[in-house]
Amino acid sequence: METPPPRVSSDTILLLNDRRQSWFGALIIFLGLSWLQWMQTVRRIGAFTLITVGVVVTKWGVAARVIRPEIREQITRCGLRLFPTVAFLGFALGFVIIGQTVALLSKVGATNLSGVLMVTVVVRELGPLTAALLVLGRVGTAAVIELGTARALGEVEALEALGIDPIHYLVVPRFLGLTVSIFCLAVYLILAALGSGWIFGFLQDLPMKPAEYFGQIAAALRWEDFLLLTLKTLAYGSLLSLIVCYHGLAQPLRLEEVSRATARTVAQAVVGCVLVDGVFIVLYLLL
Amino acid sequence: MGDISRDAAGAKLKPVLELVNAAIARPEEPELALMSDVQFRVEAGDFSVVAGLQGSGKTILLEVAAGLQPLLRGHLRLFGETVTRAEGDSFRSIRRRIGVVFEGSGRLFQRLTVEENVSLPLRYHQDVELEAVATEIGEVMEVCGIGHLVGIPASRLARGWQLRVALARALALKPELLLLDNPLAGLDSVHTLWWRTFLLDLVRGHPYFGGVARTLVVMCDDLRPWMRLGKRFSLVSEGRWRTLGDQAAVLEDADPIVRALLLEGF
Repeated sequence: METPPPRVSSDTILLLNDRRQSWFGALIIFLGLSWLQWMQTVRRIGAFTLITVGVVVTKWGVAARVIRPEIREQITRCGLRLFPTVAFLGFALGFVIIGQTVALLSKVGATNLSGVLMVTVVVRELGPLTAALLVLGRVGTAAVIELGTARALGEVEALEALGIDPIHYLVVPRFLGLTVSIFCLAVYLILAALGSGWIFGFLQDLPMKPAEYFGQIAAALRWEDFLLLTLKTLAYGSLLSLIVCYHGLAQPLRLEEVSRATARTVAQAVVGCVLVDGVFIVLYLLL
Repeated sequence: MGDISRDAAGAKLKPVLELVNAAIARPEEPELALMSDVQFRVEAGDFSVVAGLQGSGKTILLEVAAGLQPLLRGHLRLFGETVTRAEGDSFRSIRRRIGVVFEGSGRLFQRLTVEENVSLPLRYHQDVELEAVATEIGEVMEVCGIGHLVGIPASRLARGWQLRVALARALALKPELLLLDNPLAGLDSVHTLWWRTFLLDLVRGHPYFGGVARTLVVMCDDLRPWMRLGKRFSLVSEGRWRTLGDQAAVLEDADPIVRALLLEGF
């Protein structure tokens, strides 16, 4: 039998248990190793992304009669079944934003800024992010469990044994389905929020006609908003689906590890979405 | 019965499966050799039985032989071609010539129905709808005795039937080499009898394959059911590979593990 090489985890424990280290040294070591581990995860997800994109491009149209129904299934599961929840959230979001701001704007006589406010808050920020986080919570976690269980039960090897590329059969439909769905859900959510904003304003006796309210929104919208909304939701969708599929499939799992993989997915996906959001805020400021 | 171990001129064909100086490792410990110096050679038409106690590494060995797991050292040759990297589309075309039946419930796709499981490889490789392969699927399901299970989700089946569905799925692509991981483990006597009869038919030349014999490799942890069926026997034990020989050689072997696998002393 051969001796296995030392692993990062055992090194970490050895370093942290070394009594010669001061607490500050141990903290530095812990932060350094955590950073290295985080960088390794980013590198692996990056490699997984390149492989997936490669499969999407090279196998476009291959086994279309098997893959396309899988994509439709993902869009149904994610885009269609989540529509009522998204509509409800959109209405709630519109009510909350207008409800919180309309009184303030009335006091300073700036109700004409309602549309601008809605565009800035809903179209640029909350709409896409809320849609992405909703999909992560409802569909993403379920997908990690589904894929992780399939991996743990050996279904991935079974696909390989049949000459079927698991990335093509399992990842590509989720990648495309979730990306398209998050874009659509973000648009629905924004429309619902904008509509409910006006309804709330009407109920609050806001002196604003529908034409005026929607005119303000139309005036506040720029062509960059449509472009960046599309890019942002596509970025969220592809990022979420890749993190979900990576944690479900890309590493050997045992059944008891699936729950931990799901928790890791949620944490990393939320951090990823916030980072993407940061990038787009910079883009908005530059444009 | 056609002799597929020789070509038209009567010359011996290349082995369909060959592991040379191979060392294998578990996926979770990829640097640690679980088994070393494996010299495994399977020729066309063979019925090869690899025996070993539970946990001896038979399943990993089967996955390595099918190209599903990488080798730690050594070489894998399938149908005369050296497999250096068991990935990519070129290797997937070789893999389609190999059928694998996994242990237990056969690693069926639990969210699919029986006919969706069986038809998936055909539909994927031929890019057709389920209706287009209905005849072929019906035929292989009848051959495996699961024609009455149409429409039932795979997850609802008893283990014995799940394993038969896994066999039908493996046979759907009409593979030349069939690798089976402990197919009789935990089966009732009816299923056991069916499997023994069917595998014997396969190696002799089943009508489903036009009477042409298939090559079989079976992993097992009990030698008794395979003694009359197998042609060549091997043993994996304590990280070592040993070729035992034919049935007579197994019966004469003094290794206590071999005697235990024959359940002597009970």
